[in-house]
Amino acid sequence: MFEYSELVRNLTIKEFKLRYRNSVLGFFWSLLNPLAMMIILTVVFSTLLRSGIENFPVFLLTALLAWRFFSISTSMSLSSIIGNSPLVTKIYFPRWLLVLSSNLANLIGSSLEFAALFPLLVFLGMKITYLVLLLPVILILEFILIIGVSLILAPLNVYYRDFNQIWDITLQIGFFLCPIIYSISLIPQRYMLAYSLNPMTRIIEAVRKILYYYTLPTLADFIIVLVSGLILLLIGYLVFRRLEPRFAEEI
Amino acid sequence: MQVIQVEDLWKRFKIPHERRTTILENIAGAFQILEGKRFTYEEFWALKAINFSVEYGESLGVIGENGSGKSTLLKVIANILRPSRGRVKANGKIAPILELGVGFHPELTAKENALIYGSIMGLKNSEVKKQMSSILQFSGLERFRDAKLKNLSSGMQMRLGFSVAIETDPDIFLVDEALAVGDMEFQQKCMEKFKEFKAEKKTIVLVSHALNLVKDFCEKTLFLSRGEMVAFGSTEDTVNEYVKSVRGSG
Repeated sequence: MFEYSELVRNLTIKEFKLRYRNSVLGFFWSLLNPLAMMIILTVVFSTLLRSGIENFPVFLLTALLAWRFFSISTSMSLSSIIGNSPLVTKIYFPRWLLVLSSNLANLIGSSLEFAALFPLLVFLGMKITYLVLLLPVILILEFILIIGVSLILAPLNVYYRDFNQIWDITLQIGFFLCPIIYSISLIPQRYMLAYSLNPMTRIIEAVRKILYYYTLPTLADFIIVLVSGLILLLIGYLVFRRLEPRFAEEI
Repeated sequence: MQVIQVEDLWKRFKIPHERRTTILENIAGAFQILEGKRFTYEEFWALKAINFSVEYGESLGVIGENGSGKSTLLKVIANILRPSRGRVKANGKIAPILELGVGFHPELTAKENALIYGSIMGLKNSEVKKQMSSILQFSGLERFRDAKLKNLSSGMQMRLGFSVAIETDPDIFLVDEALAVGDMEFQQKCMEKFKEFKAEKKTIVLVSHALNLVKDFCEKTLFLSRGEMVAFGSTEDTVNEYVKSVRGSG
């Protein structure tokens, strides 16, 4: 593992560079995207649909960034092995490092997005409390979850190329299954247990508690996210180990 | 001491008659919904019962007609493909120079590619950077250090791959016809390097149709035909047998 730390660094930088190299605005595109989404949804929900949620832009944007971290990381990881086929077919190194590097590039990207959020929060009349110190913990827990899911998705996509489309649809469903554009209080009590076992719901709620409600996330938030992350990591490890040997043939 | 040890190696590829790469096709295939299409596999044994070993300080030539399994063998030794049966053991750091040089990224520059290859081979970035000028000089790419790889010619790409590989100080070189795209001057330079490696008791596994090259560098040679081992032994004997078989069938 440590002998490859330099490789992981190089691959991560490569991912990051390639993503933004050919565009004029570069990294700013990734900031403009959630910002545009926030403006559109704010207009829709505060003038047309009237959600009645106070300071809706902040309510939305905090959840949106947490969701984007998950959705972009996992969908980019789908191509992390196929996209590096020249490397995979010509030289040996542990293949899961490709998935890890792709995820790390997104961890950096999302951290920068969150960093850019703070001035905007102040501008929108919010205050930044000491609770912000918990944000990195949440992001690391989300990162474990992301690696687990990616280790399942990336090898499957080598064998079945339509996994891309399937995952796209899954993410669209997920977007509405999580409390991003609505408040968790809208969920009927009888569905609450199943609903709140979703680790992404917990992550989004935790981020929102920190930045929007100024309350401490509950212990249950952390435990559910950590446990589901570790379970997915284990499944991902098993799936990856099983499918890895024939990557070079199937790619 | 044995540097490479291959015991009863078999490698099978599955060749689907109708390639299924989507889940939809697999479901359709399972129920045979798509009429007239039969989703069956054909087994293709690219390597059958291969046995040989390379001793410390020796180099190995691999010869045979196109499609005889030479490249597959190299990829199995490099751990890129896994054996279907049998065992392959290699003692030491392996630098594969397969097909067109090394698996580089077309959108990155020559320098960035060198860093990635170097770190796969276990070199620190600082070490690669220190050697960068000699890499660029050996490959003759000083002017193109910041050019994207996709803009370099195939010969230039191979030269870069080769130059980086020799700087990583491996114990075993796997060279698959890579030199064929280099010009005469570069081939000459490579020959000099190969001689140095031989003097340092490093192992070169050379897949080539250039029999004189094999004769120059390899003590032992393996002759493959349709995945089977026809001959293995001293280079002179094996090459003679190969030449005889080509003449005999021609």
